[in-house]
Amino acid sequence: MPDASERQVNLALYLASRRTCVTAAECRVAGLGYPDGQDDAAFGRMFERDKDTLRAIGLGIEMTHTAEGEAYRIDPLATFARPIELSGAEIAAIRTIAATLADDPGFPFRDDLVLALGKLETGGERDAVASAGEARVSRDGETGAAAVLADAIRVRKTATFTYTNAGGATKLRQVDPYGIHVRSGRWYLTGYDHPSGEVRTFALSRMADVSVNTARPRTPDFERPENFDIRDHERLPFQYGSAPFVARLRFAPAEAWRAPRLALGHGTIETGEDGSALWTVEAASLERLAEWIVDSGPGIVPVDPPELVASLEAHLRKVVAIHG
Amino acid sequence: MASRPGTAERTRRMLALLPHLHRGETLSLAWLATLVGCSTEEVADDLMTLALCGLPPFDPANLIELVIDEDTVSVIIEPHGLNRPVRFTHAECRALASALEEIGYAPESDLLERLLASASPSAAPDELRRTLLAATAPGGTGDIFATLAEAAESREKVRIVYHTGSTGRTSARVIHPWELSNRHGVSYVAAFCEQAGAERVFRLDRIREAVAIGEHFECPANVAPGVVPDTSALPVARVRFAPGATLPDVYDWPGMSVEAGEGEGTIVRVPYQGPHWLARRVAAYLGEAEVLEPAEVRVAVREIAGSLLQEIQDGHG
Repeated sequence: MPDASERQVNLALYLASRRTCVTAAECRVAGLGYPDGQDDAAFGRMFERDKDTLRAIGLGIEMTHTAEGEAYRIDPLATFARPIELSGAEIAAIRTIAATLADDPGFPFRDDLVLALGKLETGGERDAVASAGEARVSRDGETGAAAVLADAIRVRKTATFTYTNAGGATKLRQVDPYGIHVRSGRWYLTGYDHPSGEVRTFALSRMADVSVNTARPRTPDFERPENFDIRDHERLPFQYGSAPFVARLRFAPAEAWRAPRLALGHGTIETGEDGSALWTVEAASLERLAEWIVDSGPGIVPVDPPELVASLEAHLRKVVAIHG
Repeated sequence: MASRPGTAERTRRMLALLPHLHRGETLSLAWLATLVGCSTEEVADDLMTLALCGLPPFDPANLIELVIDEDTVSVIIEPHGLNRPVRFTHAECRALASALEEIGYAPESDLLERLLASASPSAAPDELRRTLLAATAPGGTGDIFATLAEAAESREKVRIVYHTGSTGRTSARVIHPWELSNRHGVSYVAAFCEQAGAERVFRLDRIREAVAIGEHFECPANVAPGVVPDTSALPVARVRFAPGATLPDVYDWPGMSVEAGEGEGTIVRVPYQGPHWLARRVAAYLGEAEVLEPAEVRVAVREIAGSLLQEIQDGHG
């Protein structure tokens, strides 16, 4: 008996070759690999499973009702991609992305990326000018969780995990996952947190034992709020905290070009007459913002609020003193 | 419910191979394995199964006919009907969006828009935009990545304006881009730098401008550049963290290790390439970390903190 993949490929080829719709009964007797002597119910389940698999792969299987019952064909428009016009630089970039990320254990969607890039047919060998970087820190736990949670977001199934917060306390969490984002190579999940009844953001690096509800896989566990947008929840490190305030930071003229790259779309940037940049941004932690300024410098100084300026000055004096 | 993951993945791989099998062509198994993300053994196994697939009545004229030897496959009869790439699935759109954003293309970039236009109707690009963010700055480094990738492929020199993060100096350099890589969400290019007369690694988010200058370079045959230096060959600093301070991890400080307790706090050993890189990281702990040794890093911490203090005082003076 052919294996399941052989049967599914035969079914795909059969549906793609037909100009008219074919019924399940026709597929059953076409020699595609459905076992002889199988009872109707078992065949029905197997046929449904095969169609689901092919649909998940991207084949647009269209169903119509005929006198003989439900019938199927592959809709070419919904199935096949039109060629995408790409410039030489874009092709080079895509080929290089393939090599930098597709072999990267820190990238959670690498299998899907490989297959997507294979469909682009950009040609050429892809190992000449790029690498994922050796001595990479293995983060299979975090990236594996990112892949699992991204799927849970898609099918709207509730996730459960243990979470250790910054204070070291560990709790079991049940979360309806709404969105996921990455910053500086670290992944974060935003979702409705059942224990607190709030929408919260969790660092995947602090999660363990991530699982997704497998009961009733075709039925979503929750509805994501219509106006949800992950951009509203992606924050800079100093924007997490309980005491929000508005900060203004000045980039020296020579550093002003870095302001939009570091701002990541947050706040507003004004250019001064001397070429400096003044960044006005919401913050929620004086200390984290002070750390960020030192880490991102030189050429970045706080302007407002005075508490931030005073706090950073005091901390810097301490740094100088202990290294004196 | 769809098939078990193993079966579904294999079917997906086999269908992904079909558009690459053109009659009369001989293809390398290694290349096909790369295209579908598996080993050459797996791709050989997939091709052997594909050679059993076809259309009713499954006679020789209607079977995919392949000749597979040790390293290659020759296509005698190509598949009918599924010989074009199918549209991107939702998962593939997610991977593409994430990858492009990670290397610096904005979510609204024209390239990403064009790629997502080839999504399957069952994919939901709009939903993807609202639920996935790989976090890049507007006007990010996507164009710089593309310029360097093309120059690396065509072996063309590039003039860059580079900001050295640890010292804050900006300099114009001509580089020979050898290899691009990505680590912790940051893209790098390893290159020969004409100004330094040696190999250097540059972070793309610190490259202000990159322009190919139309001059060819030869890439040494034995180049093995890497983003992360061999930490075993680097000098080691000892840093003491105050009790309760959040320690860095090897993700932030490659090669670091925690020493046995010594008095108060925790002592960490960390290899470093240049004193200013480590000094800025330590200074950002705002007094919760102290470099015990060597002296050059202690001095660098003091200079960085003192210099910023002076900048603040000048600005408010």
